[in-house]
Amino acid sequence: MSNPDMSRYLALFIGEATDHLEALGRDLVRLEKGASADTLDSLFRHAHSVKGMSASMGFSSTTALAHRMEDVLDVVRTSGKGIDRPLADLLLSATDALAGHVRSAAHGQPFADTTAVEHELAQRLTLLTGEAPASGAPARQAELPAHPPVAPQPMALGLPPRFSVRVQVSPRSTTPGVRGFLTYKRLSTLGNVFDLRPPLDEVKAGRLTDGLISLELETSEGEAAVVAALKTIAEVELVSLHPVRLEARAAPAAAPNPDGPRVVGQEPPRTVRVNTELLDQFLDAAGELLLATARVREVGKAMPPASRGPLDEAVDSLHSLVKDLHNKVMKARMTPVAVITDRLPRAARDIARRRDRDVELTLSGTDVELDRAIVDELADPLLHLLRNAIDHGIEQPGERVAAGKAARGRVQVNVRRVKDRVLLEVEDDGRGLDAERLKASAVQRGLLTAEQARAMSEREAFMLCCLPGVSTAADVTDISGRGVGMDAVKRAVEGVGGTLEIESQPGKGTRFRLSLPLTVAVVNLLLVDVGDEVIGLPIARVTGVVEALTSSLSKSQATTLLPFANALVPVYELAALLEVPPGATVTGPRPFVVVEAENGKVALGVDRLRGQEEVVLKALTKPLDLVPGLSGVTILGSGRPIFILDVARLVDA
Amino acid sequence: MPKRVLVVDDAIFMRDIIKDIFASGGFEVVGEASNGVEAVEKYKELKPDLTTMDLVMPFKNGIEATREILRVDGRAVVVMCSALGQEALVMEAIEAGAMDFIVKPPRAEDVLAVVKKVLGET
Repeated sequence: MSNPDMSRYLALFIGEATDHLEALGRDLVRLEKGASADTLDSLFRHAHSVKGMSASMGFSSTTALAHRMEDVLDVVRTSGKGIDRPLADLLLSATDALAGHVRSAAHGQPFADTTAVEHELAQRLTLLTGEAPASGAPARQAELPAHPPVAPQPMALGLPPRFSVRVQVSPRSTTPGVRGFLTYKRLSTLGNVFDLRPPLDEVKAGRLTDGLISLELETSEGEAAVVAALKTIAEVELVSLHPVRLEARAAPAAAPNPDGPRVVGQEPPRTVRVNTELLDQFLDAAGELLLATARVREVGKAMPPASRGPLDEAVDSLHSLVKDLHNKVMKARMTPVAVITDRLPRAARDIARRRDRDVELTLSGTDVELDRAIVDELADPLLHLLRNAIDHGIEQPGERVAAGKAARGRVQVNVRRVKDRVLLEVEDDGRGLDAERLKASAVQRGLLTAEQARAMSEREAFMLCCLPGVSTAADVTDISGRGVGMDAVKRAVEGVGGTLEIESQPGKGTRFRLSLPLTVAVVNLLLVDVGDEVIGLPIARVTGVVEALTSSLSKSQATTLLPFANALVPVYELAALLEVPPGATVTGPRPFVVVEAENGKVALGVDRLRGQEEVVLKALTKPLDLVPGLSGVTILGSGRPIFILDVARLVDA
Repeated sequence: MPKRVLVVDDAIFMRDIIKDIFASGGFEVVGEASNGVEAVEKYKELKPDLTTMDLVMPFKNGIEATREILRVDGRAVVVMCSALGQEALVMEAIEAGAMDFIVKPPRAEDVLAVVKKVLGET
């Protein structure tokens, strides 16, 4: 039952409220490790913000719940009583309930009845303060009218009641800034203004959405005085005025400004929210520009040399501008991994409690940034890896102690940047994977023959857990162990151009290592000729290029070997790997490209090197995405489409 | 009893327009001033219910004059009068205590709407 005129703010509300609720969850988990005044303040502020936003949207049950939470947190904060586990649980359930409301709002569904949680909070409040909550906790329907007629409650500390005020400056006003400022000044004469939206600078500049201004006014003058004050301002209409129930004090202990009323919450925003789709479109456009510039350069090559000089210069400067633009767009898309790891502590706590585990989760390197698209794709896989680690990896405390380990298990999520990749590791000190059991499980499901299983290395066996239906879990829990999920994890990681590795030692623990590209969009390619084909090899995978006579290569059994950096590297003919007709046999030395494949370096025999080119990767669409060994396609400046090799998997394929 | 108005503007032309508007709205213009210094003197002398104040004037500008008038009488109702584009100065005047403002060139219905609101007559 939102106010109809507020519906345009819904998306913003959902985004911001979600941020606040996630932060609440994080803070609560952090708090259990030891309360700090900062965290308590932060908790309180988030609850307060959610309350304020929900009230603006007219979501009364959300407001009431957030309000109750805010009350409890305020008492905790001011009394120094701390948050014990049952209270943390209760506050987390309240956070979840609020998140549920926000989700329902996002999907246009009715809100779940959360009066039970609200009631529990009220009881806690009574316990904490030794008195009944001021506004009582009336039995509530799923939604109440937007503004329940409740008298403002003067509360503790003798502070005057607070009103939520919304006004609208007439769209006909030629000076909305002055009208808004007058409103602010007039109300300031009655008391203290809080939560002015938009912030004062915006108001003065007349940057109002639909002329709307909202604020909270703390005044002892009463509602009638507020109405009367607003009546004296031309071109300003009162939209709504209602008491803010059960006062909570959001104002930080800022030095009172003798010259004017305190205004809280008018810091200018440091960031803006941009629709990710728009970012995608920017990237596409910037990528197309790069390609178009390369095309112009190609056209220039056909021009007479006399007129080429100026054109080349122009194209060069165009290229560097476009490149700069492209880089900036890429940068705008970079998102810290924290966006998806921030929720892990909360998740770890829930999973551990449900499964009677004692787990300490540590996160490091979460400020490392990756392309937004990659970060988005990894959210669920990461959560799944965490579940696995706690549910299957970490043993029950008793079992751990019996095995001579600390009762409390450790799960670490470490992120670090290594050259142009990001390594994301989820590591536990639990029981480790059982290679034999994985093999048996795969054989039993007919995914593997017994012979294949016997020939399989331990490392390969670990990867079996990524096959659908294969699991080592003795029991199936509600959390994990159904053998679904790891295949999805692997798919997601590979989908963004990453790789997944598993290391494990029985009794010691397991490490899942995700090696991820920083970005998905631009790759530097080494272009090579193979027969009639031009193929792109990602430079990041190329370790070196060697010219050698085919006849000078040494042979070991069936494998040809190329001497490279004090080692012998197995040689593969790229034409043979790609099953394309090879070029004419050359008698002189020919190039070999040494690349980093999944199992170490390999040398790829090619016909000719064409040079380097930076290209915008276009994802392969069906059915090409099913061809192993290909990672993408791009269009060269000449307009010729070429395939880009997935070097890592090429040789396996 | 009609409300008593003091009109402050350095241009006679503008004062006349404003005076006519007030007359048409049933107000009584009890005095005029053409600069800030004069405005403060006239205010002390006449104690009007409302003062319209030009922003840019010789000797003492409208903001200074407003400040002084409010020092003399904290309940004085001063409405600024200014062209569009001077919002920053207008806000300074409001900060100084001005109650509202009228856009120049003034239109009768706008002026009357603003002053009636300010005087609590609607």
